[in-house]
Amino acid sequence: MTPSTRHLRLLVTMRRAFRLTGLSAALAMGGCGSSATHSEGLEPATLPAELRADYAVFAQRCSKCHSLARPLNSGISDENYWSLYVARMRRQPGSGISQEDAGPILRFLHYYSLEQLRKNEKAVPPPATSGSSLSRAPLQIRM
Amino acid sequence: MNSPAIRAWWLLMATFIFVTTTFRLARAVDHTTAGSAQVDYHLAGSKGFGNPASGNSDVFDGFTIEASFKMAVDVSEHLSANVKVCFGCHGLEADMAYFDLRAADEFNLRVGRFSPSFGSFNVRHDPANHKLSDKPLPYDMGRMLRKNAWNNGVLPAPFPDVGIELSGTHWFGETAQFDYAAYTVSGFRNSGANPTDLNFQESHLPYYVDNNARPAIGTRIALTFKLGAMADTTVGGSAMTGTYDHRNDLTYFIGGADLSLRVERTTIRIEYLLRRQEFDASNPALFKYDISPRQGDFFAKHGAFIELEHPLARRLDAVWRADAMFRTGNVLASSELSDGSSVLRATFGLALAVERNLRLKCSAELWQFSDPDARGRQTEISAHWGAVGTF
Repeated sequence: MTPSTRHLRLLVTMRRAFRLTGLSAALAMGGCGSSATHSEGLEPATLPAELRADYAVFAQRCSKCHSLARPLNSGISDENYWSLYVARMRRQPGSGISQEDAGPILRFLHYYSLEQLRKNEKAVPPPATSGSSLSRAPLQIRM
Repeated sequence: MNSPAIRAWWLLMATFIFVTTTFRLARAVDHTTAGSAQVDYHLAGSKGFGNPASGNSDVFDGFTIEASFKMAVDVSEHLSANVKVCFGCHGLEADMAYFDLRAADEFNLRVGRFSPSFGSFNVRHDPANHKLSDKPLPYDMGRMLRKNAWNNGVLPAPFPDVGIELSGTHWFGETAQFDYAAYTVSGFRNSGANPTDLNFQESHLPYYVDNNARPAIGTRIALTFKLGAMADTTVGGSAMTGTYDHRNDLTYFIGGADLSLRVERTTIRIEYLLRRQEFDASNPALFKYDISPRQGDFFAKHGAFIELEHPLARRLDAVWRADAMFRTGNVLASSELSDGSSVLRATFGLALAVERNLRLKCSAELWQFSDPDARGRQTEISAHWGAVGTF
């Protein structure tokens, strides 16, 4: 291959890369509305309105180091263990999970666990979805 | 009475009493299991589907797999354990087997086998936790082109080792998180007759016994600031040093700095690593260049990357990455490198979440080497197609 052919091929490759850049930027701008919805998480619209803010905290903090599939598919239903689990994650370096964040995260996980149990065992009554009921959920936040 | 064995016995007894009186065991043991498997197909463009007579030793092309299985056990609020086994290039390996003893958020003692705290990529090294098939060049472990000439990255990840780590985290209010870690581990190895670089294959070989009995030491500090509900930034610095030959003569020092900014699903990561490496210069005939009488017994390997990850749609993310390495110093006479070699790579990749536990990845890479290969090529193109599943 002559040097001029090599340069030509490199030029074509770079042009393709620039086209891809433009396409990606356009898609990114078009997809701005979806940037808060995490790809491996839940669709916020399917959650009770009063839980969406809690879910947003969970999704933002817990997707920093790993996929949301990890906690959502962990199969944990015991609240005490969720409390230990979140405390362990909160202590991870650079987690960005403060004490203030632990409450909303555990509130969402409490709802999610009950929802999963309800799906798996029809005998379990559906979780309460009113804000007052959720806020009274017996959550234990580990320091 | 003052023999090392007696002192070790008293230390063991004191540790036992400390642990049993400080930490209350829980009545029930809670545990979770998790795992991941990534299959990746790597096509090295200039090489195509054929292999030269020398085989495919300079690039892992074709299919590769990385699989792992992890169990985490919370014995109590103060004691947890993690075990993780991996299957990959080095066969079956223990990536984690450690206990965490925690007296407070600011005081956690980790003992066993673990990847010591270094850099920001460390916590994301599992293929399920990063959205490209391969790692940034400074952390590359076998997927880069010309991997043998370069002996992989600056600090190929993961780098599990046996030892002890003291770490902690402290929040200043609700906005700033400070992390620290200090550790002592066996360190990297090369048991060869004339060691000229770290032997990463040997460092991963079981049985995990050090070749020189002198531990390596290291530290990391990082600060994370919450910039609102949906944004945070982390800045960190890391360092480790030790000897790698069996005579304890040859040292290595690895330092690094990292910065990341995350706003919703968009993340920018910047990281720089440097390894200063001494080598055995007792046989000048092994080297390409004359050995300088002063400071001629080391090389420096720099590596850096900048990465932008952002959503294109709910299930689709794009990743842009530019990374590079620069090596300066003497090289073996047989090496393709010179005393000032560089490699630059530009990557564009897509990650599609097919469903919660399955992600497809593809990426294209443009490489630029400072040194031509046997056919005079300095520019190369490669591509990855991969799938990673988690449970």
